[in-house]
Amino acid sequence: MKQRSISFNWMAVAFVLAIAMIIPFVLEKHPYYVHIFILVFLFGYLSTAWGLVGQSGQLSFGHAVFVGLGGYTSTILFMDYGVTPWVGMFAGAIVATLFGLIIGYPTLRLRGPYFALSTLVFGLILQTYVVNTQMLGPINLRGAMGLLLPLKNGGDAPAVFQFATKTPYYFIALAMMVSVVLLSYLLNRTRIGSYWTAIRSDQEAAESLGINAGRYRLLAFLLSCALTALGGTLWAQYFHYINAERGMALSLSIEIVLVGVVGGWQTVSGPMIGAMIIIPISELLRAQLGGGFAGLHTLIYGLILMGVILWLPKGLNPLVMRGLKWLGDRLWSTSPSVRTPEDSGR
Amino acid sequence: MAILEVNNLTKRFGGLTAVNDLSFTLNESEILGLIGPNGAGKTTVFNMIAGFYKPDNGRVVFQDQDITGLKPYEVCRRGVARTFQVTKPFLDSTVLNNVMVGAFMQAHNAAEARDIAWKALETIEFGDRADAMGHEINVPDRKRLELARALATGAKLLLLDEPMAGLIPSEKGHIIDLLRKINQEGFTLVVVEHDMKVVMSLCPRIILMDRAMKLVEGTPEEVCSDPKAITAYLGEEYAARDPEPRR
Repeated sequence: MKQRSISFNWMAVAFVLAIAMIIPFVLEKHPYYVHIFILVFLFGYLSTAWGLVGQSGQLSFGHAVFVGLGGYTSTILFMDYGVTPWVGMFAGAIVATLFGLIIGYPTLRLRGPYFALSTLVFGLILQTYVVNTQMLGPINLRGAMGLLLPLKNGGDAPAVFQFATKTPYYFIALAMMVSVVLLSYLLNRTRIGSYWTAIRSDQEAAESLGINAGRYRLLAFLLSCALTALGGTLWAQYFHYINAERGMALSLSIEIVLVGVVGGWQTVSGPMIGAMIIIPISELLRAQLGGGFAGLHTLIYGLILMGVILWLPKGLNPLVMRGLKWLGDRLWSTSPSVRTPEDSGR
Repeated sequence: MAILEVNNLTKRFGGLTAVNDLSFTLNESEILGLIGPNGAGKTTVFNMIAGFYKPDNGRVVFQDQDITGLKPYEVCRRGVARTFQVTKPFLDSTVLNNVMVGAFMQAHNAAEARDIAWKALETIEFGDRADAMGHEINVPDRKRLELARALATGAKLLLLDEPMAGLIPSEKGHIIDLLRKINQEGFTLVVVEHDMKVVMSLCPRIILMDRAMKLVEGTPEEVCSDPKAITAYLGEEYAARDPEPRR
């Protein structure tokens, strides 16, 4: 029984991926819709990376900072030092990890809201600092102006992460999202994932079974910081621009949190599903209502979020999973399955 | 041979002394019963040995190593596992995954952990519920889960905090059989328990605590016939009615 539905889930994944592969070609004449898909993947990526912290039982309200750190590091390295963002993105990941260590090391050993508050405050401090700082030693932060990515060859230079059309960005964003979801899925099948689940379920019990909770939380957070920074580079390359006003903003942190929470906090596929639902709604509402009724789209967006949180506190993920299971049972219902001992998970 | 030595252990919470100058020795492969009225300090003793509280005074020596004041996870890695009186299953994981968390202590990878977890579940005769979720199982099963998890860590010494509280007699009998079996496989057990019948049949040696102190130590018969024990449990009046008063 289990075997069957697992193989169905993989088939569903393969099917969705196959559709995802042809979408940019079908929508070639409608770059705006391709843009929405790229945003879905970008936020799916960022929220899944953020969700790793959630899997270890903590909440980060400052993840925009790591988007910003990633984008700033790779972009400054490119602008002022000529380093290609393909390399710079990993430098960004290292910088984000170091900052993560500064916030996480003292606070993740404590129980209670200290970590969540620290991320929130750290985000506000760093954003304020970058917005108001032109030069940090030899590093040209350019203050409130932000970093406008200089285009090479009119923006058609794959060697420096610049592409003429949206399609390459689409596939890079898709690949990044799929990779991070796969990473999260695989981690969940190892000691690390098992320990994260234990720590978020009951820290005392976890520690009594030999788990250094603080250390495994720090691991989750640092991994999350590094991955989020990679997403920051994608952000900067795609928009050709990154500034602290938006790229390190509390509002961006909250967006990442909301996408994750609506989809299903602390699940592997939840944040991805959240992005698939929230981002198009948010974008389309803005496009439809943004002109005549400025602000109305935010109101509707807010109502939808309230509804989800009120009626689906575990997010949309269980609903989607149940739907998939229902579909799987329907499609296979012609051959009644016999439950064998192998099915019991051994 | 002594596996655990507890010397002059003391814990104060503000003005309240929860455990006062407690010392005892535990031999390898022994089952020691720790009994006493509510509030006597039994669980606090467990919490100090297992690293959840730092003792204000005294030492805990496990297999000739000083483990006083180590963190809970460090204590577990040295080979001491505990269960909780109020069970703490990982609610959103299956029983098997719950036990695997403990099994990772001695496993190199997930497959090995799964094998160890299965072995622990089979020892506890619990394999039939391996697929149930932590939030689905009832109290007796939760108690067994606690036991399986601690067993899977590979610890030599298990501190069992009321492993039979809230169970009906037939279930208690089952757990007693399991504990004997575990003990015969070489595990040393310390059991906190209220039910005197259970303690009498399971533990060759008993320590009775009352008001933070060790009151009586000995075989079940010695402890039961001690007037101090009767006073602690039933009050002065009943002690006075002892057929052979010591006065």
